Amino acid sequence: MQLSLGWIDFLLIGPALSLFAFSIVPLAVKVLRGNVEQNSFATLCYGYMGIISAAGFLIATAGLKQTAFENALVFDGISSIAGIIVLLMTTITLTYARDNYSTNTRQFSEFVFLTLNCAVGMLTFIWSNDLIITFVGLELMSLCLYVLIAMSSEDKFSKEAAFKYFVLGSFASAIMLYGISFIYGSAGSTFLPDLKNVGASLISTNRLFLMGFVMLVVGTCFKISIFPFHAWAPDVYQGSPTPVTGFMATGVKAATLAFFLRIMASQTLLAERAWPIVDVLQWLAALTILVGNVGAVRQTSLKRMLAYSSVAHSGYLMIGLIAAGVGGENLVGASGVMFYIFAYALMTMGAFGVLSLLETHEDHDVTFDDIRGLASDRPIVALAMTVLLLSLGGVPPTIGFFGKFFLFSAAVKQGFWWLALWGVIGSVISVYYYLRPVVAMYMQESVADQPMMDRPMSQFVVVLMAVLVVGFGIFSEPFFQMFIQSVAPVF
Amino acid sequence: MFLTLLIFLPTVFAILLGFVPRERWVRPVSLAFATGHFLFSLLLFKHFDPAKASLQLVEKTPWVPTFGINYFVGIDGISFWLVMLTCFLTPIVFLASWTSIANRVKSFHVCIFLLTTAMLGTFLSIDAILFYVFFEASLIPMYLMIGMWGGSRRLYATMKFFIYTFFGSLFMLVALITLIFMTQEQFGQLSANLLDFYKLNIPFVANQFFSTQTLLFICFSLAFAIKVPMFPFHTWLPDAHVEAPTPGSVMLAAVMLKMGTYGFMRFVIPLFPAASEYFAPVFLVLGVIGIIYGALVAMVQTDIKKLVAYSSVSHMGYVMIGLFSFSLYGVTGGLYQMLNHGISTGALFLLVGMIYERTHSREIKQYGGLASAAPLYTIAFLIVTFSSIAVPGTNGFIGEFLILLGTFTTSKWAACLSVSGVILGAVYMLWMVKRVFFGPNGPLVEHDHSKHGLDINIREMVVLAPFIILIFWMGLFPNDFLDWSKASIDHFLEHRTNYELSIDR
Repeated sequence: MQLSLGWIDFLLIGPALSLFAFSIVPLAVKVLRGNVEQNSFATLCYGYMGIISAAGFLIATAGLKQTAFENALVFDGISSIAGIIVLLMTTITLTYARDNYSTNTRQFSEFVFLTLNCAVGMLTFIWSNDLIITFVGLELMSLCLYVLIAMSSEDKFSKEAAFKYFVLGSFASAIMLYGISFIYGSAGSTFLPDLKNVGASLISTNRLFLMGFVMLVVGTCFKISIFPFHAWAPDVYQGSPTPVTGFMATGVKAATLAFFLRIMASQTLLAERAWPIVDVLQWLAALTILVGNVGAVRQTSLKRMLAYSSVAHSGYLMIGLIAAGVGGENLVGASGVMFYIFAYALMTMGAFGVLSLLETHEDHDVTFDDIRGLASDRPIVALAMTVLLLSLGGVPPTIGFFGKFFLFSAAVKQGFWWLALWGVIGSVISVYYYLRPVVAMYMQESVADQPMMDRPMSQFVVVLMAVLVVGFGIFSEPFFQMFIQSVAPVF
Repeated sequence: MFLTLLIFLPTVFAILLGFVPRERWVRPVSLAFATGHFLFSLLLFKHFDPAKASLQLVEKTPWVPTFGINYFVGIDGISFWLVMLTCFLTPIVFLASWTSIANRVKSFHVCIFLLTTAMLGTFLSIDAILFYVFFEASLIPMYLMIGMWGGSRRLYATMKFFIYTFFGSLFMLVALITLIFMTQEQFGQLSANLLDFYKLNIPFVANQFFSTQTLLFICFSLAFAIKVPMFPFHTWLPDAHVEAPTPGSVMLAAVMLKMGTYGFMRFVIPLFPAASEYFAPVFLVLGVIGIIYGALVAMVQTDIKKLVAYSSVSHMGYVMIGLFSFSLYGVTGGLYQMLNHGISTGALFLLVGMIYERTHSREIKQYGGLASAAPLYTIAFLIVTFSSIAVPGTNGFIGEFLILLGTFTTSKWAACLSVSGVILGAVYMLWMVKRVFFGPNGPLVEHDHSKHGLDINIREMVVLAPFIILIFWMGLFPNDFLDWSKASIDHFLEHRTNYELSIDR
C-alpha cells in the first residue's frame, strides 16, 4: 500500500500534537529540577498553552480537508464540535485540579501530563474513521484515566475506583476489540465508510458481522455507562478526585458519543435484521433512565448522586442516538445528541466544580449535610449550583430544557413516543433529587461553619458555567443551527 | 413594546434590587417599583380595545426558528383581567408582608418580582413553547418562597408542590412537541404558534383511547388539572397553602391557580373541541365532586388557613364546571369566578396572615370572641366571607350565579348538585366565623400578648381597602368588568369547534 502524506495531514492533527508537546513540558521541567514540583500555577500555564495552541489549530484548520492519513482520520462537523467540547472540558478540569486538595499534590505535573494526553486520546477517538484508530484512541484515553483516578495519594477509594475501572474497562475494550475482529473478518475492512456501504446488507446475511456489530455497540455502551454496563459508574465517580470525575463524566462521554454517532451514521441499523438491536437499544435507554434516576434518589453523597444522574443522562442521549440510527429524518436526533452533550458538559462540569470547591481535604466526600445553609455563607456559589441543578433537571429557560426539548422532539418525530414519555417521567424523578441540594442550601440552617477557601479561578468557572447555562438556553437558536449544519453532512 | 415592558419590568426591578445597599430600603423601594408597575399596567385600559375579539398589542420576533418558536405575546379579553389581577396584587403583597417577612428580605422581594414576570408571561404568551417556559419558570420562585419562608413542614410541602406540577406539565411538553410537528405535516412549516395550532386538523375518534386528539387532550388536561387543582389532583394544594408564607399563599391562590383554568380556556377547549365535548361529563363530575368534597373537608378543618385552602378546591370546581358547560353564562361566570376567587381568597389569606402575625396560631379552637377585641378586623373579615360565600351584592354572587345558570342550561344534574356547594360553603365559612369571632373569649383573645392589640393598623387597612372596594364594585357593577371580556368570550363560544384568533394590527 502506498502511503501519501501531505503537510496538511499534520496540520490537521496539530491539536493532538500540540497537546502532546506541551504535556511534556511540565514533566521535563520537573525532571530537570531534580524531581521537585515547581509552582503549580506555572504547570497549569503549560497546560493552558497546550490547549490554546490546540484550539488555535482546531479553528485554523477547520474545513481544510475532510479526511487525513489515507482517510484514517475524519474531520467533519461532529469532529469539530466534539473536539471543542473536549478542549473546553480539559481546560476546566485543569483549573479545578489546581484548586482541589486531592489533585494539586506533589504530582501535579504528572496530572497535567496525563490529562493532556487523555485529551489527545479523546481527540483521536473522535477523529477516528477506522476501527483500529478508534481502539487506539479509546485505549490512550482510558489508560490515562486509570492513572488519573488512582493518583490521589491518600484516598483509598481512589485505588478501588481505579482498579474497578481498569478491570471492567479492559474487559469492555476486549469485547470491543473482539467485535472489531469479527467485523474485519466478515466485512474485510475496519473502515467506517466501508461499513456504511456494506453494513446493512452484511448484517442481514452474516451472523459473524451481526455479533461483531453488537460487541462494538456493547463496548461503546460501557464507556457511556448504559444499563446494564453502568454498574462501575457510581463507585468510580465517587472514588475519583472530583476534577477527574468531571472530566470523565463530560469529556469521555462527548468523545464516545461522537464515535457512537458515527456507528449510527453507518446505517447498519436500517436493515430488517437489525431491528431487534433497535428494540434492545430502546429498552436499554428506558432502563438506563430508570436505573439512573431511581438510583440517584437515595444517595446522600452528592458525587454519587451526580454519578447516577450521569447514568440517567446517558439514557436520554440514547434516545437521541436511536432516533439518529433508524434512518428517516434522523438529523434532529443526531444534532440533538450533539447539542445535549454540549449542554450536559456545561452543566455537569459546573456542578462538579461546586463539589470540588466544597471539598476541604483529600478524602472529603461532600454530603447533603455539608452544604446546609450554603446560601447564607456563599450566596453566589449556591445560586450557581441551583441554576446548574435546575438545568440538569430540565427546567426552562436553561440549556438543559432546550437539550431535552431537542432530544424528545427527535424521538417524537421518529415515532418513539414511549421513549419521549419515559424520558419525561425520568425528568420528573430527577427533579426530586436535583432539588434536594437546593433544599439543603437554601432552606436548612448550617450545622457547622464551612471553612470554604477562596478559589477565585474555580469560582469564576463555576459562575461562568451557570451564566452560560442560562444564556445559551435563552439564545439557543444559533447553536441549534450550527449543530444541525455541522452534523448534516455526516447523516 | 408595551407587553414586553409589562412582562419584563419586574425582572429589571429584581435585578435593580440587587444593588440596593441597605436591607431596610428594600421594602419601600420594592413597593415603589411594584406600584409603578401597577400604574403602568393601568395604561392597558387605554391601549386595549374591548370591542375586538382579536389579539391585541401583539409583538412577534423569531426566537428559535429551528423549531418555529417565536417570542410572541398578545392580549385578548380572556387574559386581560388575569393580567390586571397579577399587576394589582404585587404591590399589595409587598405592603402586606411589611412586617411578616423578617429574614432575607431582599431575596424575598426578588422572588416575588420574578414570579410576577413568570405569571404575566404565562398569561400573555401566544407561542406555546414560550408559554411553557413561563409556566414552568413560575414554579421556581414559588418553590423557593415556600421553602425559605414557610412553616414547619415547608420542605415536604414545597417538594410536593414542585414535583406534582412539574409532573403534569412535562406531559404537556410532549404534547406540544407533537403539535409542532403536526404543523409541519399540515402546513409544511414548523410552528409553535398557538394561532397555527388552532388551525390544525387533529383527528378525533370517539370511544377510542388511542386517537391523537384524545391523547393530546389528556396530556394537556393533566397539566392544567393539576395546576387548577381539580379533584383528585388537589392534594398538593392544602400542603402548599398552609406552609407558604402569607404573600406566597396569596400569589398561589389568586394567580397561580388561574394558570390552570386559563390553560383550559386558551389551550384545551379551543385546540381539542371534539375531545373536550366528549370528555365534558368527566370534567363536570370531577368539578362537582371537587365542589362538594372541598366544602366538606373544609368544614372539618381546625386550622383557618387549611379551611381557606380547601375552600379553594371547592371554588375552583365552580370555575371548571362553568368552563365545561360551554354556555355563554357558564364561561362568562367561570372567567368572572377566576377573578372573584383571586380577590376573595387572596383577601382571606391576607386576613389569616394578619391575625397569625399577632397570635402565632391559626387554630380555630384558640380563638373566640375576636369581634370585640378587633372590630375593624371583624368587619373586613365578614365582608370577605360574604364575598366568598356568594352573598348577593358581592362579587362572588355574580360569578357563582352565572356559572350555575349556564350549567343548568346544558347539564341540569351538575347544576343541581353544585348548588349544594353554595350551602355547604356558607356552612363552613359562617361556622368558622362564629367560632372565631363570636361566643366566649378564647385563650388567645383572653390573654392578648401582642404589643399593639389584635386589631388591624393603618397599613393593613390600606392593604384591605382595595379588596373591599373591588368586592362591592364587582358585585354591584359586574358589567364594568365583563364588558372588557365580552367580545372574546362571545368569539370563544361562537367558534368553539373551529376556533381561530386573528391578530389586530
